[in-house]
Amino acid sequence: MWENIIDNPTGWKKLIIFVILLLAWIAGFSSRLFAVIRFESIIHEFDPWFNYRATAYMVEHGFYKFLNWFDERAWYPLGRIVGGTVYPGLMITSGSIHYILHSLNIPIHIRDICVFLAPVFSGFTSIATYFLTKELWSEGAGLFAACFIAIVPGYISRSVAGSYDNEGIAIFALQFTYYLWVKSVSTGSVLWSTLTALSYFYMVSAWGGYVFITNLIPLHVFVLLLMGRYSHRLFVSYTVFYILGLVMSMQIPFVGFQPIRTSEHMAALGVFALMIIVAALKYISSKITKAEFTFLFKLGMVVAATTVFLIVVILTYSGVVAPWSGRFYSLWDTTYAKIHIPIIASVSEHQPTTWFSFFFDLHMLVSMFPVGLWYCLKDLTDTRVFVVLYVISAVYFAGVMVRLMLTLTPVVCVLSGIAFSLIFDCHMKEEDTICKEIDAEIEKKKTVEKVKSSRKSRSSDIQRNDANIDSLGVNFKCIVIVSAVLILMLFAAHCTWVTSNAYSSPSIVLASHSSDGSRQILDDFREAYFWLSRNTDSNARIMSWWDYGYQIAGMANRTTLVDNNTWNNSHIALVGKAMASTESEAYNIMTSLDVDYVLIIFGGVIGYSGDDINKFLWMVRIAEGEHPKDIREGDYFTERGEFRVDSEGSPVLLNCLMYKLSYYNFGELKLDFRSPPGYDRTRNAVIGNKNFQLTYLEEAYTTEHWLVRIYRVKKPEEFNRPRVPVSNRKISIPHTFVSKKTANKKKGLIRDKPVKRKVQTMNS
Amino acid sequence: MEYLVSLPFTILEIPNLKIKKPGWLQRPSAMTMFSFVLLSYFLVTGGIIYDVIIEPPSVGSTTDEHGHSRPVAFMPYRVNGQYIMEGLASSFLFSLGGLGFVVLDRTNSMDSKITPKLNRILLLAVGFVCVIISFLTCLVFMRMKLP
Repeated sequence: MWENIIDNPTGWKKLIIFVILLLAWIAGFSSRLFAVIRFESIIHEFDPWFNYRATAYMVEHGFYKFLNWFDERAWYPLGRIVGGTVYPGLMITSGSIHYILHSLNIPIHIRDICVFLAPVFSGFTSIATYFLTKELWSEGAGLFAACFIAIVPGYISRSVAGSYDNEGIAIFALQFTYYLWVKSVSTGSVLWSTLTALSYFYMVSAWGGYVFITNLIPLHVFVLLLMGRYSHRLFVSYTVFYILGLVMSMQIPFVGFQPIRTSEHMAALGVFALMIIVAALKYISSKITKAEFTFLFKLGMVVAATTVFLIVVILTYSGVVAPWSGRFYSLWDTTYAKIHIPIIASVSEHQPTTWFSFFFDLHMLVSMFPVGLWYCLKDLTDTRVFVVLYVISAVYFAGVMVRLMLTLTPVVCVLSGIAFSLIFDCHMKEEDTICKEIDAEIEKKKTVEKVKSSRKSRSSDIQRNDANIDSLGVNFKCIVIVSAVLILMLFAAHCTWVTSNAYSSPSIVLASHSSDGSRQILDDFREAYFWLSRNTDSNARIMSWWDYGYQIAGMANRTTLVDNNTWNNSHIALVGKAMASTESEAYNIMTSLDVDYVLIIFGGVIGYSGDDINKFLWMVRIAEGEHPKDIREGDYFTERGEFRVDSEGSPVLLNCLMYKLSYYNFGELKLDFRSPPGYDRTRNAVIGNKNFQLTYLEEAYTTEHWLVRIYRVKKPEEFNRPRVPVSNRKISIPHTFVSKKTANKKKGLIRDKPVKRKVQTMNS
Repeated sequence: MEYLVSLPFTILEIPNLKIKKPGWLQRPSAMTMFSFVLLSYFLVTGGIIYDVIIEPPSVGSTTDEHGHSRPVAFMPYRVNGQYIMEGLASSFLFSLGGLGFVVLDRTNSMDSKITPKLNRILLLAVGFVCVIISFLTCLVFMRMKLP
């Protein structure tokens, strides 16, 4: 019996696959832990703080309270309907994990679940990728792809421990939806397409990027129709998916009626109609002769396509269907955001991608995936058309925005997996002798290399049987394989290096290396937020640039004016205008908005480049968009068009609120012996306006490294009081106590001395 | 209605047109598809969209210690900035690496009876050299960009 088990090759294969996937999971999980090990288990950056706050609220108050949550501490004085303006999938996922663990009596804090959610989901992503690739090509390719996606930096950048953001779970949902879709196209069963719709529902609840699926799947169907690859399987899978997916996606409050009312979703509707027409034509064709049918078919196709298109255009113009929103529009017309919506263009992750980001995030996969694409194109099937379309669209989007590198990464892993698996297939069909010596060499290596060994055992199994004559030199094959293994090793090293150096900074806690190599932790952000939460009134309103809104709400628990949910451009522009105007004008804006404190980030002391002065031009641009009469970007530049803070800078800049708040008292600060006082390390310049006083604000708190500075806005009665001549002053003298103790009365007198009263008792 | 439609044709003579599907319109082969995709891939990974939006110079320049200005091909130490030429150079290398693998594959799938052995070995060497060169040069480029 035992011999049977050991000799059973399928059993071994399954075991190897399982072990490799497990190892990929572990490797992916552990390589995302750099931030936790170096710093602590903490939520990172900006958006995760909101997600964490919302999750904590949901866990505390229950799901329905969460859905109806009106947050009056954000966007003062407007407030924000949180339940209707978030994708709740993330909160529900971690909330339900919390619920399950607590019902099993595992008391774990919700913060730790939030921190470790993304690394855990990266394991699910690699498993989903394995299944997708297996469906497209083979199991070996799937294993390669799973290992690639577990450690590729393009995905790690959004899923390190602590980066508790929608993308962390959405990439899993994306890959899994695509797997189910591919499966349902190849089987044509209602079950699989229902599952696709369910997974799509999860994706819709998790991330706004679901629009990518809503457009890619119809595109796939459309291209298949154009190629004449219509089949019943396609009809069943698409119609079931579309109807169920549509109805389910409308259950998310934030999505609502968008799927039938906005242009982003219209392609899916159009393809659905087309599909029905094509199916009807096919049915008719079975009843009439062939010549009539071809005519009818072509006519029907053309008529259907044009009518659908025209209807959409007419509806868009008549206002029933909302046109493309700016964020999506900027994907097509790439200069649109730069001109019209500065708030989108201002975010660094919405910048267009340079070649270096491609190489940095994907390393050798960037030149491997065209190879995989080549293999797919050479041997096209229904499902491979899908992956080809996927990669073409994703490459384009990744080129437009750095952030969308995230949607490109999974498909790159899939295609590179295919390419690598074929390279190894092709160069390993030889006698076992060669395989064995490489085996011994590879077996020691890391997880990525583990895949190959499985491939090898498989391929040698298969290839031994068909002993085709191959004139390739054994030596040459060896060289190719060894160099491929080397490339893989370099890839793994690069991934780890990038993860540890570039993507594992929480950006709330900063680390710097001093000259002797020891590490210094700059904890100024939390210091400032802690100060706020301890020393200000609970209802105090804090004005800051929108980047810090979520952090103030999350850590200091104070009311903010604007935050990272940039839904109200004019409100942000008002804050930007206050920052960009002079102190007295800003004071008017601040009193009208009931501001109590102003918080700014200043990096001039430690040379931190992400501070408010460097972001200042965006504040000016955004303010200019709403108040073109008061704020002009040109005023903040010198005559030669430079943005500089030293004495040559423009006087408007040197007198605006942001400048004064950043450099208040900075002119006297001498950082070291070599540099003059008031030397800004970030911009490498001595500041131009040194000795000034603030009239309307006063410094409330400045953190250790001056990274965060908080100012209190004075009340109107506290400053600028008119001077009254001494003769006109009315001084009210408070009631003074005059002692009655004189030299004659030696005996002291106690005021309000309790008087003793004799109590008459009823003694008889 | 019938009358209205036929009205213009009392004056105009209907030309004897025959619209047929143009001969060049057919399903493109895998190779043409691949070359199209590779071309667009070459442009996108070279950051052509970045070049269009940000409009950087094609080659930068710097002043050395003698006061002469020298051209600089790479924008050093900037991860999210590039010059046009450096982007094109590196995406050329990416494509070269990809093509190297495709050449390797083509050589392996060739029929060994038709092509002479020397040709095969040459092709293999070309493919291999492409891959290695592109990979190593990319690594060198990355070193130049990293802060």
